[in-house]
Amino acid sequence: MKKKLIRNIVAAGATLCLCACSGNAATTGTEGAADQSASAAPAEINIAYQYGLAYAPLIVCKEKGLIEEAYKNATGSEVTVTWTQMSSGADINTGIASGSLDVGFLGVAPAISGVAKDVGYRIFTNLSGQEHGMMSRSTDINSIADLAGSNEQIALVNIGSIQHIILGKALADNGYDAHLLDANIVAMKHPDGMTALESGNVACHLTSSPYIFKEHENAELHEIKEVNAAWPVENSFIVGVASTELHDKQPALYEALCSGISSSIDYLNGNLEEVADMTSEYDGNTPEDELEYLKKGVYTVETKGIFTLATFMSENGFVETSFSGYSDLVFDNVKGN
Amino acid sequence: MNSKKKHAVSVIARVIYVIALLVIWECVARSGILGPRSSLIFPSLEQIGEAFIKNFIKGYAGTSLWIYIANSMKLLLTGLVIGILLAFILSGLSMVSFIFFKIYDLTVSVFDLLPGIALLPVVIIIFGVREEVIVFLVVHAVLWPMSRNMLDGFNATPRIYVEAGKNMGLKGAGLIFGVYLPAAASYIVSGLKSGWARAWRGLISAEMIFGIASSPGIGLFINQMRTNMNNAEMYATLLVIIIIGVIVQYGILRPIEVNTVRKWGMTK
Repeated sequence: MKKKLIRNIVAAGATLCLCACSGNAATTGTEGAADQSASAAPAEINIAYQYGLAYAPLIVCKEKGLIEEAYKNATGSEVTVTWTQMSSGADINTGIASGSLDVGFLGVAPAISGVAKDVGYRIFTNLSGQEHGMMSRSTDINSIADLAGSNEQIALVNIGSIQHIILGKALADNGYDAHLLDANIVAMKHPDGMTALESGNVACHLTSSPYIFKEHENAELHEIKEVNAAWPVENSFIVGVASTELHDKQPALYEALCSGISSSIDYLNGNLEEVADMTSEYDGNTPEDELEYLKKGVYTVETKGIFTLATFMSENGFVETSFSGYSDLVFDNVKGN
Repeated sequence: MNSKKKHAVSVIARVIYVIALLVIWECVARSGILGPRSSLIFPSLEQIGEAFIKNFIKGYAGTSLWIYIANSMKLLLTGLVIGILLAFILSGLSMVSFIFFKIYDLTVSVFDLLPGIALLPVVIIIFGVREEVIVFLVVHAVLWPMSRNMLDGFNATPRIYVEAGKNMGLKGAGLIFGVYLPAAASYIVSGLKSGWARAWRGLISAEMIFGIASSPGIGLFINQMRTNMNNAEMYATLLVIIIIGVIVQYGILRPIEVNTVRKWGMTK
């Protein structure tokens, strides 16, 4: 009885191991079959994006089927575009590294981290630049110099986020160590940060549109100008990344992707009121507010400042890799700096 | 099978189970079935082992994982103690006053359903941006399930025990400590176990969403590793969470169970 029990346990363990070890061969076989039938299968592309105003062109692209249209015009065939909304750049990086996503839209800082970590993508387009800023309700805090050396708390969305890097850059631009205020950070989502600032529970909140616009309207708050100056609205905020597999192996689909995103940005810039009506529902703003916010953003396919940012991140230990040039970060077709 | 041999077999079975899981993990990591970047998203045991050591020696931005663990444990223990004491007091009062029982039973039923994270904006307004927010979320995680178990245990106390206690002159706190608590001991131990697990998970979740850099916890460390795509370090930290959980489960809660309700023959 005892021996039988032990034998059964050992057998079960061995079976599990064998199943796992043979998984590679089985899967390789399946992949092989999939590759063989790939030419016959309809084209597919999986795109992940995040929530908010900065992603407005993607709502246009999705609603109007611009990638599908560009692909059909170029090849005469259909493409299935799957849009997935995700909550962070880190999740998108994992999705692309695992091969379950082809394209992602994320903040420029996690995109640079992803390239540095060799996730297997490059930036294929800029999407938008947005207003960033740090607001304070303390009359004693009016500049970066007032914060340096203090223990005043600064709410921002996450350590390693673009807002954290902008804080570091504002410090460096003003002659301080980029990590001087790291211990002052309280990581919390934008709405929670706004609540904390307005209720007087943190001294400062470093945030982006539309929260920065909402905080501008609060007469009790004032802005620390050096932060906005460190990364102005014209600079890249959200970029699109595409897997190297998509770029190298499916050039027609890659071209359609670039064309679709470019068309959606052009459409947004030419039809702001219509787009505000379309995206306000997704963003939870009134169409009037949405229009105001859209006018304050910069929507273009040309990147701005990403190599400067990547160099800053590398020199200040935010990423472990150094970049020799702009081309390390982007595909050949991308314009900008 | 006598109890010693039964114990030996159960230990062997669990060891084999853990080894099998590790072998499966390693096979998946080395097989490359997750694509060309398998080692980045699904690191091998060797990578995780190296990251485990690195987390403690180098940490993140010069701060060792020990610091993160110490901060988390401090907040966890504070929250656990407050939560358990409140559960004892409020559940005990429920046995003294029928009206209080009805109100507290409703309160437990309502708040046990609410995820702590959803309360974060309100908690920030009340407590500010301080460690107390995390302590509150831990108390929230432990108080309601523990109270539910205790109330169920008190209600399951045979009426004859309560009547016997009353006949012996017990009332109020005497009745609670002399009759209800001993009779509900198995429920209380079960509540401690589920309360601990809920508190531990609640702490990590809260720290992942609400990270105070001046007193960073394990959840914030995991978030930092995720953000920087340091997946081996992230998995190594999950391993730390498991190890601490197992130590508490088998080093503290199990002995309590064995020396109380099992010894008294209340459970198997």
